Amino acid sequence: MRVHQRTGRALVAVLAALMLVATACTPSSPATSPAPSAAASAAEKPQEGGRIISGSLSDIATMQPVLVNDTASGEATAMLYDVLITADAKTGEPKPGLATFSASADGLSYTFEINAKANWSDGKPIIGQDYLTGVMAVGKSAKTVRKSTFQDVQGFNDFKDGKATTVSGIQIDAANPKKFTVKMASVTCPALLSIANNRYTLPTQVFGKYVTATSKPEDIDNAPENTNPTVSSGPYKFKEWRKGDQVIFSKNETYWQGAPHTDEYVIKVVANQAALTAGLKTGELTYSTIAARDLADMQTVDTVAITKYPSLGYSWIGWNTQSTAIALADKRVRQALAYGLDMDAVIKSVVFGEAIAHVAHHVPVQWAYPADTSALNPYKYDKAKAQQLLTDAGWVKGADGILAKDGKKFSLTLSTNSGNTTNETIAQVAADQYKQLGIDAQAKPEAFQGLVTKLTTGDKTLEATIIAWSLGSEPDPYTIWHSSQIPDPATQKTGFGFTYFKDPAMDKAIEEARNPSNGDCSVAARKKQYDTFNKILNENQPYNFGFVPNTIAVAQKSLQGFAPAPFSTLYNVQEWWIKK
Amino acid sequence: MRAPARAPSRTVEASRLRTFILKRLIYAIPTLIGVSIITFVIVRLAPGDPIRLYTFGARDITSEDIDALRHVYGLDKPIPLQYVDWLVKAIHLDFGQSFIYHQDAAQLFVQYIPNTLVLALVALALQLLIGVPLGVLAALRRGTWLDGVVRVFGVVGHAVPGFWLGLVLILVFAVQLRWLPSQGMLTVGHDVWDFPDRLRHLILPAFVLSLTGIANYSRILRTETLDVLSQDFVRTAHAKGLRERTVIFVHALRNALIPVVTALGGILAALIGGALVIETVFSWPGLGRFTFQAAIAKDYPIIQAGTMISALLLIVSYLLRDIAYAIVDPRIKTG
Repeated sequence: MRVHQRTGRALVAVLAALMLVATACTPSSPATSPAPSAAASAAEKPQEGGRIISGSLSDIATMQPVLVNDTASGEATAMLYDVLITADAKTGEPKPGLATFSASADGLSYTFEINAKANWSDGKPIIGQDYLTGVMAVGKSAKTVRKSTFQDVQGFNDFKDGKATTVSGIQIDAANPKKFTVKMASVTCPALLSIANNRYTLPTQVFGKYVTATSKPEDIDNAPENTNPTVSSGPYKFKEWRKGDQVIFSKNETYWQGAPHTDEYVIKVVANQAALTAGLKTGELTYSTIAARDLADMQTVDTVAITKYPSLGYSWIGWNTQSTAIALADKRVRQALAYGLDMDAVIKSVVFGEAIAHVAHHVPVQWAYPADTSALNPYKYDKAKAQQLLTDAGWVKGADGILAKDGKKFSLTLSTNSGNTTNETIAQVAADQYKQLGIDAQAKPEAFQGLVTKLTTGDKTLEATIIAWSLGSEPDPYTIWHSSQIPDPATQKTGFGFTYFKDPAMDKAIEEARNPSNGDCSVAARKKQYDTFNKILNENQPYNFGFVPNTIAVAQKSLQGFAPAPFSTLYNVQEWWIKK
Repeated sequence: MRAPARAPSRTVEASRLRTFILKRLIYAIPTLIGVSIITFVIVRLAPGDPIRLYTFGARDITSEDIDALRHVYGLDKPIPLQYVDWLVKAIHLDFGQSFIYHQDAAQLFVQYIPNTLVLALVALALQLLIGVPLGVLAALRRGTWLDGVVRVFGVVGHAVPGFWLGLVLILVFAVQLRWLPSQGMLTVGHDVWDFPDRLRHLILPAFVLSLTGIANYSRILRTETLDVLSQDFVRTAHAKGLRERTVIFVHALRNALIPVVTALGGILAALIGGALVIETVFSWPGLGRFTFQAAIAKDYPIIQAGTMISALLLIVSYLLRDIAYAIVDPRIKTG
């Protein structure tokens, strides 16, 4: 018996050792020979055929643009429906897509003309009526979250409320069905991208029957073509959706910008980051974006090419300027919290150096970002300065080393969404650093579901919150920073003004860039307003603006023409090809 | 001669079994209603408003539109009323529409259930086909190296966390050796009926999911067989001059299997529960992962339907266990 026990122990040891070796293994260079770099692709003649497999961390929810509310579904509809006006992939500035555009001198109307070559995949021309169908679908739908997109279009609200059978502000040219005009109720600079940089140009031959005078909201919301689209204006057509696993698209041979080189485009659902990196290593996935923590690992794989670029968004710490902890109401305290947090150290430990410190709302890739950054205080890490500002604000260290004022200790709870390792690490690192300033700081992860409700309904027990914003090509910050967006539980008003910070000059700048009194929606005019806006935020620090992380895209070296940029990855998907 | 004597008793037994099954099915109704009420209340009392969560990314949405959405899903009604609405529809097998997918919850589940069942049943088969013989062999070869291996495996198989083993196996067999796919149920581009391809995808997840069970069953079977082998009736059987094989398979094994049947009761539910982890590690498009994601998104109709399906599976698997009891051990009376 004893002998067997010994054998048993030895076996356990061997097994354990084997497993340790297995986990410790670094990926060796795979058998496949390294493919030429993406740069070489420009000169080569694209090869036809093959399949692009994109890794996605979640399944798509729908293929009805009107109902889309998540990234994966956005990717799917990008295959199927083209936009009238695109945002330049690198600069975010509007440029012609499916249509060319012009604005009237008074800024109250936009005229679009759809490309003469542009047809639906069933051969019918894409016309102004198709845009009207899409806008009416948004008006009819009870489940869309995008009704406000068209609220400034004349007649939209009447249609939405059932007072009209069409949207009077959308007028189709009698002589040219591809030409139409959209009339606005007021001059609104974000309007162009809002009304035209979307996928609501829908095939009337398919969806027209769901938006008639007698149609009910559920007609469009439950349309079978939402999950089984039959006609496409984009580079690919829908083929099959295997729920929870993959969505398969086949090439649209008659695509107006030229048929794509690959036969298929597949969105493959992977359950987690580890599966994503494994799939990229084995070649089961053609491309995806990865987390910064997997970068070092991916760099050892010589079959993939890595592209890094700054994201269109930032991770921030929002201070509740009306906190019951009072300390945060004082601008000097918030500035001290900026000087007192070594953002470079945060970036190193949170995203392994793959980010840049950020000190304003707009991010560097947006045109609204100040050209002259010297106007912005970089809040370079300076512990002494932080301590001085706290002293100026009346906070002095007590015997226990904790700052106190009027007998009240400086405590600070940094709330964030649990399960998000990036945000949780920021909270932890920030709490550690603030402790060194004499602040009794604690990180508090809580379920995102609860946190979102608290934030948007104005629960003032939250002192500091760490979340990230992803921004868009239209830089209008109204919904985040205008004082009208501050939630108020007393009046049940909800909104994204979580910091309760308001400033009349900032409101004015936001309004002038949104609805200019002189009607000037030029980039130059708006930029001036945003310079003021960013400077006020930078000075007042309602957020610690945290950092702008890099997006890390990984693709097989065999994928050619792949050139992701901050505003779009898929803008040239029809030009991608697989080198055999 | 014996046949006529047994015939009436078999009929009696069969009708008794029928009554038993019917009774259990009737008892299942209040159980399901209880489960539905508890789930309904808990998901709604947990912090966080599903509509706020859903609209968090839509920054332009107005408060009125948020209220309108809440009304569409009936979330503006008092919870008891919402429950009555749900129950009336559920009786007609209408479990409502997913907030996220805008599709009927029942229809969505129908697409995920087969995937999980395939995984769970293959794992169950592996557990029984590997675990049972291993345990019996270990008992018969007690004290040999084989016994040692089985016993060590009994401990290790239990102790190794599935998600970790899954990741290790992916690294070794998919990333390093390239023998097996790293994830999913089917290679992209392959037909859903491509059986060999599906099998290749099943190997790793089914093995990991079955590991605990194999360890469990081999351990139980080893102990039970040893126990049974030392009992009087086995000695009697030997003494009667029966062949070794007859003694083991007809007399000993049948008795040793009873605890396995006990363990089988919760196994289907346990496998489906365990499948959540395995489905996540191997990106398997199954029920567990789908329900889990719905729970994160507070997609009430899906959570509710998922809980009902799990409860039903548990009830059915306990019922099957009791029927199996009656077959394996005639002494256990149904009723």
